[in-house]
Amino acid sequence: MNTISETRQKSLLYLENVSVSFDGFKALNSLSFVVEPGELRAIIGPNGAGKTTMMDIITGKTRPDTGTVLFEDTIDLTRQDEADIAQLGIGRKFQKPTVFESHTVWDNLELALNRSRGVFATLFYTLSPEDKARIEEILETIRMIHRKDEYAANLSHGQKQWLEIGMLLAQEPKLLLVDEPVAGMTDAETAETAVLLKEIAKTRSVVVVEHDMGFIRELGVKVTCLAEGSVLAEGSIDFVSNDPKVIENYLGR
Amino acid sequence: MMIKFFLRVFFLCVVSALALPSYAQSGAGADPRSLIDALSKADFGEAEKLIGQLAATGDARLVPALNAFSEGDLYFRKSDNLVFIGKSAGSNYELIDPVTGASAGQAAKNAVTKIKINNSLRRVIRSAMGGLTLLSPDRGVRLQAADAVLRSPSAENLELLETAISKETDGEVKARMVEARAVSLLSSDRSVDEKRAAIQTIKNYGGRNAIGILMGASASLDPSLKADVDAAIASIESGQRLWDIGQNVWYGVSLGSVLLLAAIGLAITFGVMGIINMAHGEMVMLGAYSTFVVQQVIRDSAPGLFDWSLAIALPVAFLVTGAVGFVIERGVIRFLYGRPLETLLATWGVSLILQQTIRSIFGPTNQEVGNPSWMSGSFPVGGMTITWNRMWIIAFSLSIFVALLVVMKKSSFGLNMRAVTQNRRMASSMGIKTPWVDAFTFALGSGIAGIAGVALSQIDNVSPNLGQSYIIDSFMVVVFGGVGNLWGTLVGALSLGVLNKFLEPSVGAVLGKILVLVLIILFIQKRPRGLFALKGRAVEA
Amino acid sequence: MISGFVFRALEGRIVAAVGILLAIGILVPALNLLTPPDSALHIPTYVMSLFGKYLCYALLALALDLVWGYCGILSLGHGAFFALGGYAMGMYLMRQIGSRGVYGNPILPDFMVFLNWKELPWFWYGFDWFVFAMVMVLVVPGLLAFVFGWFAFRSRVNGVYLSIITQAMTYALLLAFFRNDMGFGGNNGLTDFKDILGFSVQADGTRAVLFFMSALMLSLCLILASAIVRSKFGKVLVGVRDAESRVRFLGFRVENIKLFTFVVSAMMAGIAGALFVPQVGIINPGEFAPANSIEVVVWTAVGGRGTLIGPIIGAILVNGGKSFFTGAFPEIWLFALGGLFIAVTLFLPKGIVGTIQHGFKARKALKAAAEAEKGRGGTETVAQAQAAE
Repeated sequence: MNTISETRQKSLLYLENVSVSFDGFKALNSLSFVVEPGELRAIIGPNGAGKTTMMDIITGKTRPDTGTVLFEDTIDLTRQDEADIAQLGIGRKFQKPTVFESHTVWDNLELALNRSRGVFATLFYTLSPEDKARIEEILETIRMIHRKDEYAANLSHGQKQWLEIGMLLAQEPKLLLVDEPVAGMTDAETAETAVLLKEIAKTRSVVVVEHDMGFIRELGVKVTCLAEGSVLAEGSIDFVSNDPKVIENYLGR
Repeated sequence: MMIKFFLRVFFLCVVSALALPSYAQSGAGADPRSLIDALSKADFGEAEKLIGQLAATGDARLVPALNAFSEGDLYFRKSDNLVFIGKSAGSNYELIDPVTGASAGQAAKNAVTKIKINNSLRRVIRSAMGGLTLLSPDRGVRLQAADAVLRSPSAENLELLETAISKETDGEVKARMVEARAVSLLSSDRSVDEKRAAIQTIKNYGGRNAIGILMGASASLDPSLKADVDAAIASIESGQRLWDIGQNVWYGVSLGSVLLLAAIGLAITFGVMGIINMAHGEMVMLGAYSTFVVQQVIRDSAPGLFDWSLAIALPVAFLVTGAVGFVIERGVIRFLYGRPLETLLATWGVSLILQQTIRSIFGPTNQEVGNPSWMSGSFPVGGMTITWNRMWIIAFSLSIFVALLVVMKKSSFGLNMRAVTQNRRMASSMGIKTPWVDAFTFALGSGIAGIAGVALSQIDNVSPNLGQSYIIDSFMVVVFGGVGNLWGTLVGALSLGVLNKFLEPSVGAVLGKILVLVLIILFIQKRPRGLFALKGRAVEA
Repeated sequence: MISGFVFRALEGRIVAAVGILLAIGILVPALNLLTPPDSALHIPTYVMSLFGKYLCYALLALALDLVWGYCGILSLGHGAFFALGGYAMGMYLMRQIGSRGVYGNPILPDFMVFLNWKELPWFWYGFDWFVFAMVMVLVVPGLLAFVFGWFAFRSRVNGVYLSIITQAMTYALLLAFFRNDMGFGGNNGLTDFKDILGFSVQADGTRAVLFFMSALMLSLCLILASAIVRSKFGKVLVGVRDAESRVRFLGFRVENIKLFTFVVSAMMAGIAGALFVPQVGIINPGEFAPANSIEVVVWTAVGGRGTLIGPIIGAILVNGGKSFFTGAFPEIWLFALGGLFIAVTLFLPKGIVGTIQHGFKARKALKAAAEAEKGRGGTETVAQAQAAE
């Protein structure tokens, strides 16, 4: 118990004994999971292990049946909805890239910018020089400065993924949840994405859910393996991938 | 409706009564012919007395004359003041002897005068006719006669009733006659004790009518009986309360079964396939018109089959609406999968076209769809009344529900259908021809809506707007019950029906319906996926 | 801030549209009033009122477009907001009749005397005052939209479910307004109007002013809609339409965004109804019929949802067609309308204006691509080709 109270002191995200079931199917089974500030964490696990459900719970889309979900040790996330949680500083990238297709790249980023989001504030919003500079900076980071006036619908799959990551950056989150960022990307794009994520993780915590073991090796960070709704193993990529339970459940022989 | 039916039964009684003439001719002495002829000069008051005397003859042959009188078909010849039953025959009347029923030649329309009739006389006639047939050898006729007396009791029938009771051997008929006697006795000049006994008898029979009878009679009764009447009414009311609830549940179930019928096709097209079919109501309407056409053909070519018309209309309606549904799916809807709001608009367009087509062919007015004999009439169950048509519609809607459930769960088509709706790509890669499954599923849903139309043609006006009145209710039922869940549709339909009927007495029909709509709107806010929602991992985006 | 908001609205096409509308709003009454009846240029009053009706419908379609075209909420209840605005105006006009009614009661409208009512129901108070009635034209539909939307959007009723319950809402109102006890004239509705602000509603001059007001209100609402759509809020709105959960996860309160738009749109519909009633001379519960609300959808769809000019053009075209058909071939009208629903959804999903705009944009994009190829060469074209997929 001593260890838990110690970890609680400095955790950014703290899940303890979280369970949720849908029609008798236990999607999460007393899952406990901690992310520290500034940490980059990878999550692996077979289909149905509860990865997406865990993200749903953190971002307020699903309510857990039991368990504690705390942000920065004090804020109970189970009492907040998506918009509150986003404003607290948790950003989420979906499995399928979700950007505003009928807006330009620039407008996508402008909407994501962490500014007052009320009805009247947005009605009377005018682009300030600081905001302009910030958007240009992000465009630089995601390498899309020359495509800023393009409609998002016309971007390639990989570019949409990046645009979405760029939008999350504009949101200035303290914690970034990224669901399968390299699915459907070319090898070159995958490598570039790894670099991008590592760069982002310098200033904030990032949790990446991914199937691609090569990509995770490239990230070179602590790995958590989920199976059947709870943590199976946690540690370095080499430690986890040699764990007999992980091999049996996920990697296979 | 009821009166028409009643008269029809009477006509039958009369025919059978005539087959065995002069059985009951033993009554009082006056000659019926001269009594009838006296009607020509009588005012309403005198006519009432004459009818009483006619009833006292106990001569069942007089029933047609009385019937004609109440229908306004009794005339007297100006030349000799003789009274006849007159039937219009071109510019003349065909005259029929009111006692023997023999033809008495024709007379020009201006040679005869109609004998005037009013509603209070009609009531007297009805009770007289009841009395006249109490002694019929036919059990059914006697039962009907006892009912008739019960409905319009009169002290004049009392002696006749007592004679009939003493001769009666059939238990049910006798019971009815005893009840009729008790009711008639209240308005007679019999002793207080006899009346007290009659009140007891009426109390024991109970029912809503009994309360009305007792209340109506209490004013003219001896004051010493007031306590008895009040006690009897209180006792009946407490017994009746339960029956009233039962009757309300029955009305509710009956309305629920109509909602179920209307919604069940939609439970497939909307619930299973996710198609917002605004033309669903028009499928119901097409089913009703199919029934109309089938009945027209039967009336023209094989009137004997009329009682079978609904049975014949069922497959016809299913095929017609199924085919129309198939064409709609292939022609419009298949291009719009995944765009539900567009589907809504396009099918609305289809519904306008179907309505106008029917309006152009059959005209905008209501079409007369007949009830087969087995759908008519009613029977009592304790203190409540159950009509046959509602009874059949409930049975019918439940059997369609069961049949559909079996098709969905047991047949290979049902299996394909569920496979396609759950995972289209997987189903198609397993060799299921998904476009055909879509088309036939939609045709099935439409066909069932058509069948529903056959049943609804029996209780609703068949007009081009028929479908419009069901479409919103149908969607409410499916959404309330939970999309994609047939059982939800059943429970949704029945509970909405019952709720509606329980609200009706206190707030009125229209306000009740508004309240139900508002409640559903609020309910959907609380549980957007309906009563029986399928839970699952939150779907992304 | 506000000036920026308005300034953004005045983009070229909107300015042109407003110019045309105002020109019509002045020219048509002028031709009606200033030319002699036998002149070739004369516009009879009934034609002017007919076109005034179209302008009201255009405003209704614009209101629907704001929620449907931009926010993705297909409301099948906008007819109800329109009718409520109309009833508010109708109540004012009823009170103006005074003792000139059939029964000559100075306070109670005829239908209340007929129903044997002794005093004015409380909700009729104040409607003899024009300003109050005009405030109600906005408040009543706005309040209904607010209450309805508050519940619906908070519990995330979406897509077709929302459409169905908006339809149920207007149906419930239809049933309610048919009741005599509601105090709105039952199925006869409100009619036999005499004066508006002291001028006879029948007079040519009054009709001319009403026509001008219709054009003016349509123009103002068009500018407002344009300002909303072109602000950052408008971009969020389109985001809600295209990817609602993304908007939510970016930290926006989607329910507030929808609610605001729904209420503004309902108020516009109310204004349209209020201008409609004095020009046609009657308001009855038939306006709540669900079919009416769906018809508004087709006007919007024909003109082009998600464009601001489209619904205006669509409403005028479809209603012009309706007037023509129901006069010349009444049998065919429903076939034509039904066919229009199907044809637009199948073949012209963007509507007339949307399709023209799209073609214009596509040509511009093609030109830009060609120039980019000239300028940058190799690698870019590959990306362009990918983008085209």
